[in-house]
Amino acid sequence: MSEPSGTVQLLLDSGITHVVGIPDNTSGPLFDAVSAHATLALITVTREGEAFALASGLWLGGASPLVVIQNTGLLEAGDSLRGTALRMAAPIPMLVTGRGYAKMTRAGVSPAEQRTMELLTRADVDSTALFTEPTFDAWGIPFRRCEGDADPIAAIAATIADARSERRPTAVIMARGLI
Amino acid sequence: MLTTAALLEPLARIRTNEVVVTTMSVVRPWGLLSDSDLDFASADSAMGHAADLALGVALAQPDRTVISLNGDGSMLMCLGTLATVVETGAQNFVLIVSDNGKYEITGNQPVACAGQIDYALLAEAVGFARVYRFDDAAAWEAALPGVLAREGPTFVHVKAESGTQGPIGRASTEAARYLQHSLADWSEIMRLALSPEGST
Repeated sequence: MSEPSGTVQLLLDSGITHVVGIPDNTSGPLFDAVSAHATLALITVTREGEAFALASGLWLGGASPLVVIQNTGLLEAGDSLRGTALRMAAPIPMLVTGRGYAKMTRAGVSPAEQRTMELLTRADVDSTALFTEPTFDAWGIPFRRCEGDADPIAAIAATIADARSERRPTAVIMARGLI
Repeated sequence: MLTTAALLEPLARIRTNEVVVTTMSVVRPWGLLSDSDLDFASADSAMGHAADLALGVALAQPDRTVISLNGDGSMLMCLGTLATVVETGAQNFVLIVSDNGKYEITGNQPVACAGQIDYALLAEAVGFARVYRFDDAAAWEAALPGVLAREGPTFVHVKAESGTQGPIGRASTEAARYLQHSLADWSEIMRLALSPEGST
C-alpha cells in the first residue's frame, strides 16, 4: 500500500496537470489528497463518460490529465472513450479501481469462465470484475493489474509512460487498499 | 425562432481566436462558414459529450474563449455537464444549446419533452454566471458580442428551427475542411494551433 501523498508526488513528477473522475472507496483518499494540493487540479465529474471527453479536451488544450474511475464507470463510459480519446489517439492514462475482484476470488471464479446466466446472476459474484478486462481487450486499450504485493506507484508510472510512448489511452486496474 | 444560418452566421462574422466545438446538426453548416484550425467537430459520436470536451479545452486554455455549439438532444444526454461546468468555474466557457426539439440528423424525431424544457432555467438553477435566451435572430446578433465578451461560465438557450442535416461522416469529399481529416489528425492540427508555437 502507498500513501496518497506518494501518488500525488508521482503525478506531479510525471507532469500530470489534472485528475478527472469520480471517487470510490479505493480512490477516495487520492481524491482527498489531490483536492488539498495547491497546483494539481481535481475535476470531479457527474458521469464517467464526461471524464474521457473532458480529459480529451484538456489534452487538446495542452494539459496532461489522468482519469480516475471505478470499473463500473468504465462500462458506463464506453462511447465517450471510443468517440473521443481513442479516435483522437489521445495519450490519456487511466487509473481504474477494480470492484468485484476480491469477491470473484472468494467465490473461486476464474475471469476466463464462460459467461453463463448462472454465473452472471450468482449472488456471490460481482460481474463487474468479469467484464472489465474483456472490455479493455475489446476496446484495444492496454492495461495492467496492480494487486497483492505489487508497487502501485510503479504501476501508475508505467501506465502514464505507456500512454505517452504509444500515444493512446492506457489503464491500470488497481486493487482495493493499494492507493 | 432562429434558422441554423441565423444562429451561425453572426458568430462566424465576429469570431477571431475563439475555439469553436460543434456537434450534430451544426457540424457541416459551421464547417462551411469557418475554416479555422481552432474549429473542432465532435462528429464521431460521443453520446452528447461534445460540451465536456469543449470544457476541457477551456480549462486548459484559460485565456481563450471556448464556445460549445451543442444541441438539445446532446444536452439532454448529459445534463450533469451543467454541474461540472459550474463546479469548474470556467469563466471563458460559452455553452450554446440550439433547441429545435428534434434529433435532426436521424430524421427529425422529437426529443423527450420537446418544446417543454427551459434549458436556460436549468442553467440558472445550477448556477451559471450568465444565462441568455434568444428566439429572435436580430436580438441574437445584437447581443452576441457582449455574450462572448463577458465572464462566464455562460449559457445560451436558442430556440431554433429544425433543418434537414443528415448523418455526419469524415471523408475527403466533405466540403468542410475539419471533416476531411481523421479525428486523430485533426487533433494534432488543433493542438499545434493551440500551442505557444502555433498560437492563433
